[in-house]
Amino acid sequence: MLRFILIRLAVAVPTLLGMSVVAFAIVAIAPGDPVMMELRALGVVPKPEDIAALRAEYGLDQPFLLRYLDWLGRAVQLDLGTSIATGRSVVTEIAMRLPATLSLAVSALIGAVLVSVVFGVCALSRNRGVAACMRGLTILLVSIPSFWLALLFIYLFVLTIGWGRLVGDGTWSDLVLPALTLGLGAGASLGRVVYERIRAELSEDHIRLAIAKGLAPRRILISHIAPRIVGPLATAWANTFGALLGGVVIVESIFGWPGLGQLILQAIAQRDFPVIQAYLVFMGLIFFTMSILADIVVFFTDPQLRRTLSDD
Amino acid sequence: MIERRLSLPALRFGLRGGRFGLMMGVALLLGFVVLGLSPLFVDIAPPAQMDLLTRLAGPSDTHPLGTDHLGRDVLSRLIHAVPVSLGAAFATMLAILAIALPWGVIAAVAGGRVDMVMMRLADIIMAFPTLVLALAIIGFMGASLQASIIGIAAAWWPSNARMVRALVLSASQRDFVRAAYLSGASRLRVIVRHILPQVLPPLAVIISLETASVLLALSALSFLGIGAQPPTPEWGAMLNQARPFFAQAPHMLLVPGLAVTAAVLALNLIGEGLRDLLDTREAYEW
Repeated sequence: MLRFILIRLAVAVPTLLGMSVVAFAIVAIAPGDPVMMELRALGVVPKPEDIAALRAEYGLDQPFLLRYLDWLGRAVQLDLGTSIATGRSVVTEIAMRLPATLSLAVSALIGAVLVSVVFGVCALSRNRGVAACMRGLTILLVSIPSFWLALLFIYLFVLTIGWGRLVGDGTWSDLVLPALTLGLGAGASLGRVVYERIRAELSEDHIRLAIAKGLAPRRILISHIAPRIVGPLATAWANTFGALLGGVVIVESIFGWPGLGQLILQAIAQRDFPVIQAYLVFMGLIFFTMSILADIVVFFTDPQLRRTLSDD
Repeated sequence: MIERRLSLPALRFGLRGGRFGLMMGVALLLGFVVLGLSPLFVDIAPPAQMDLLTRLAGPSDTHPLGTDHLGRDVLSRLIHAVPVSLGAAFATMLAILAIALPWGVIAAVAGGRVDMVMMRLADIIMAFPTLVLALAIIGFMGASLQASIIGIAAAWWPSNARMVRALVLSASQRDFVRAAYLSGASRLRVIVRHILPQVLPPLAVIISLETASVLLALSALSFLGIGAQPPTPEWGAMLNQARPFFAQAPHMLLVPGLAVTAAVLALNLIGEGLRDLLDTREAYEW
């Protein structure tokens, strides 16, 4: 177990370094000079020697590799610069809004997992009508854009029935509608994975044996199929979480949920590069951690993998 | 056991689960093509023509789907958005394939160190959430439809490259591929004549489903105001402009959303239908 985690983390290091290069390079090669931008933000008409002095101060006259190492050194100490728009440290800005975004993404993920299991299992129902309906509903839900679903929900629940509010203050009851919006679509596409996985297992010989033994479908599903698909599903959950981290931006802006979405949209409009970079770094790290957790689940649920790793 | 049942050939061909979906998807997509081409044959008001006296009007004889906040005809904008929205999705998918196809094929055929390095590089991009990376790229390029196409393509290709690689790997294990190598065929010949034909059918499934997701992502970006910019008619952008008039003019909201859903649905139905056609596994029934 410990051995596996150590190996997994060792493999992760080059990927992490690569990610940091991407995050750094995206700013370093971006069009527009950060020095000019800052001077413009300050409202100063720059003289050439001022620009040169500032460039030297920021180390922009150094070669790419040195700048990268310098940036990495500061990034490890959680110093990712200051926001051009507000002048505050970007880490503070992100940390302020991160909990709201994470709670929305996590509750959407939980909803999606529940929806996916129901959909996936019902799509395999022996009743052809039910199965066809579930498959049709799945494809339909996957195809509805989340932003439109959000608007429909607002129209229906907020404006017509009056169950929710449009301007939330981040309490739990405000979480329901955005999480439902995100979770339904994600759950439907996860449901396809569940369906595919169960169907693949159903073509295996050990399931044929279980059926021949006369086990009840529910028993087969729970004790023969579920343990074998948990690993692959955990990977799919991690990927869904990644998709939700991005999808949150869309839904947050509609429901006025006080998360990172508003910040990043503003940053894109104002070309606030440090904020965008920090957003990329943080989301990347969170997604990366989820992927590692999923790999650990895969390892736990796959006896063959466990055996090969303990043998060599 | 497959139950043998007497059935009319036409029924068997047309109305069985997967095939029915496939037909519906193709019909929907053809409908969009006809809709997109209709300005060439039918006289439709230009999408930017404003009529400030009839702003936010509901459906009427002159404006079958009503008008928007600037008095522009919603139907006309919807139709003129077909080539923009669908075109952008197909262009993005083409860009993704242009990178993913050679990347996956080369990695799978070359194997060894080349394969490892290429997949590692793809892994690095894949380690970021796709939409987050796309947002970051758009942020640095400035918001526009081109930027969102580039951003999505740049963040999306690695997962497709991985799928292509897996398909090529399983295709090159077939005996006739080995036989072709043994009979002295060049690598390029084996790839073009023996591996690609095997890869194409499953690839068609992937392309169809991925184009659906790309279309969703692109319209979401336009909805957020960082994709297609006004006055370009684009479904997501139309929805974005409809937001402030939410309560007064719900018709502005309904139609573009339906258009996106129908287009995505068409592509998903085609993808799923093709997958069902290709799927030869027989699940044991309980």
